[in-house]
Amino acid sequence: MSELSDVEAEEQGADVASADGKAKAEAVAEPEPTAVREPRVRKLNVVGRRNLFFALSLLIIIPGIFSMWRNGFLLGIDFAGGTEFTVSFANHPTTAQIQGAVDGQNLNGSVIETSGGGYIIRYPPLNAASQTSVENDLQNRLGPMNVQQILEVGGTIAGETIEFSLLAVGLASAAILALLAIRFRNVPGGWRAGFQFGGSALLALLHDVFVLAGIFSILGKVFDLRIGEIDAFFVTAVLTVVGFSVHDTIVVFDRIRENLRVSQRLSFEQVVNLSIMQTAARSIITSFTVVLVLGAIFIAGGETLRGLSLALLIGIVSGTYSSIFNAAPLLVVWRRLQPLR
Amino acid sequence: MQLVLSWPIRLAVLAILLFSLFVDGAGYVYRIANHLPLTGNVQGLPPSFGGWQLYFHRGLDLAGGTHIDYELTNFPAGQSRPEVQQRTIAVINKRVNALGVSEPEIRGAGSNYDRITVDLAGVNAAQAQKTIGAVSKLVYTKWVKDDKVTNGPEPGYKPALTGLTGDDISSATATIDPTGTSWVVNITFTSSGATKFDQLTRDNVAACPGDTATSQTANCPQRHLAIWLDLTQKDLDSWEDSSYVAKVSSPYDSACLAAQTPDTVCGKFLTDPITREEIAGGQAQISGSFTQQSANDLATGINSGSLPVDLVALDVTQVSATLGAQSVKLSLAAGLLGLAIVVLFMIVYYRIPGLLASLALLFYAGAVLAVFKVVPVTLTLAGITGFILSVGMAVDANVLIFERFKEEVRAGRTITAAVDAAVRRAWPAIRDSNTSTLITCVILGFIGPSAVQGFAKTLAIGVVFSLISSIIVTHNLLAIVLASGSFRRQTLLGVDRVRAV
Repeated sequence: MSELSDVEAEEQGADVASADGKAKAEAVAEPEPTAVREPRVRKLNVVGRRNLFFALSLLIIIPGIFSMWRNGFLLGIDFAGGTEFTVSFANHPTTAQIQGAVDGQNLNGSVIETSGGGYIIRYPPLNAASQTSVENDLQNRLGPMNVQQILEVGGTIAGETIEFSLLAVGLASAAILALLAIRFRNVPGGWRAGFQFGGSALLALLHDVFVLAGIFSILGKVFDLRIGEIDAFFVTAVLTVVGFSVHDTIVVFDRIRENLRVSQRLSFEQVVNLSIMQTAARSIITSFTVVLVLGAIFIAGGETLRGLSLALLIGIVSGTYSSIFNAAPLLVVWRRLQPLR
Repeated sequence: MQLVLSWPIRLAVLAILLFSLFVDGAGYVYRIANHLPLTGNVQGLPPSFGGWQLYFHRGLDLAGGTHIDYELTNFPAGQSRPEVQQRTIAVINKRVNALGVSEPEIRGAGSNYDRITVDLAGVNAAQAQKTIGAVSKLVYTKWVKDDKVTNGPEPGYKPALTGLTGDDISSATATIDPTGTSWVVNITFTSSGATKFDQLTRDNVAACPGDTATSQTANCPQRHLAIWLDLTQKDLDSWEDSSYVAKVSSPYDSACLAAQTPDTVCGKFLTDPITREEIAGGQAQISGSFTQQSANDLATGINSGSLPVDLVALDVTQVSATLGAQSVKLSLAAGLLGLAIVVLFMIVYYRIPGLLASLALLFYAGAVLAVFKVVPVTLTLAGITGFILSVGMAVDANVLIFERFKEEVRAGRTITAAVDAAVRRAWPAIRDSNTSTLITCVILGFIGPSAVQGFAKTLAIGVVFSLISSIIVTHNLLAIVLASGSFRRQTLLGVDRVRAV
């Protein structure tokens, strides 16, 4: 870091490069800015190579959208409706035996094996009386059974959950756009600039939602994994990722806002790139700690939380990527299409 | 930022800390000293203030139990819906109390007052639905001649509603009858019910007078008064359909009635006793082939009153207590592991500031858990996830400040000035990012289903306290500790160089 010691730095922190190791490894020396007094900044030229990073995002998003369009999602009981028993059997019958017994009931039941030696048996919605008789019937066929959980979701609730999820994502997005527009209206350019900031953050947010939803669609439908099942927990994860993604993006945008004020001599693109570099260390460190915590939940948190923690892991990694490599570069693209000054 | 470092703020933080320690710890000290169970609600346990007790309220997915969302249908015409919903909740409450559930939660919901959510700890779904949905509106009918009727308790006769129902009964008790061989339910009518009952029995006796014990002619069907559960006019209209009558006239089937759909026909018949004499005074007895259990169930049903609406279960969740306990253990382990990793990372990476931030993080965790007890917030798996996630947010605020601190130090500021500048410059980012999270929480809290609401609530509380923890506590600790010169070494501060003051 010794070469930094000659940097002219007084009032603003706007002139310090990222100290992060990863960034340094890929760092490319930027040609000296023409203005003699401008600070020398070591950096990865994120803004200049934005198309590469956009392409990388599309590489994940396009197959995801294709899978969502062709296959949809593996629906959990919250969305599909039905009755679900989580059970274990004292006599340890094989999966085939259980499937046989369930087929014998002629109730369109299906059997899923869980990791702990238990089983999930799913039926179309059953009412309370038939729930008890189905339970008794299973015991007759397969011996003593320990019922850990019964979930029953009628069509009304399933429909409402879907409606609510779309509504919540829509409302949250609108609220966040409004918040950013208000918060960033005092950068040069006023309200229009505010909406550019808000809109770019929103696009980065949608990027994360599509990455997450796409990967889950592929996991559930292409690879047929139960972890790719979407349920109320998945909705929670999506909304958390929405919050986190914007959180991350705001940190970068806040730095742009500050640098626009103090570094009048830099071009907009230079300011954006500088701000990305200055906040990259923080973004990566924070995400790293959150990933550690989520990793702990994923490994130690048991079956119930596994899907949720995987969704959060994907969303937060994507959120960090999009806040560094997508949100701010998108702002630059937008600024080029709709110049403000 | 001078305000943050002022003494009133420091005292306020100290007060929160002491309060949290008291709320978090006092109960456990008392419990251990008195060899009481360490978790859950123990009656009358301090700290309790006028019946208000402090302990972690566990949601059903952690405690085990049943959750049901009911939809209310067939609202009585001309009554205000909120009132009908409240009355239904009151009836459900009475019925559930008979189960002896601790802290049953019965809440109204729905934009049109057409939903009721029921949470019962330690009760399985079948039992809960049987108790809540138990149909227990007694209906008295008299018999009218109808030659087309070929089936039922009185072939050739059709029942007619008398206007006397369970609503006219003030209380019911199950007892053993005087002969000591079978169970009966004694009922006491309200004063208007007593008048109606008196009139009915007088009419019955008048229909074919005589002593029922000796005279054959005195035992005509019109002298019987049948008692049914939830018999409706619709049932009476189908009385000439003999197979329908056969089903309705079979002994009442509470399991069938609790789960009935519009197409099922359940048994609703209770008893069809003969009226020996006019009964004035408003006391009567229902006898039938009762067991102790069924007599008790009936008495409870009558006492709790009848539901003003029909209940349809929209979704039912039953979690066993063992699965709940397992979830508690796993999420606790995950939470502690996560916290340990974060603390370790912060100390290794940021040295002294990291240690101070970890202390602030512990303050944060203690305060949030105290708030969970005080509000109280019912903790569910999703709620715990929200809490763990808010730890991430709390760490982020610290990371923002520390990264900025490093920059300011590199830029040549003195330590004290760098701390102040770091907090001041990190603040807009912390404020805006946390506001966006809070907005998301509010939206989720208002329109989410209950599982997601729990998540939103814990995350929101967490975010608020993470702000206090990072901006106030970390900042103060940094200012106090770094004011003494002994820590101003770059290896301890995790910065590249330190400018001499």
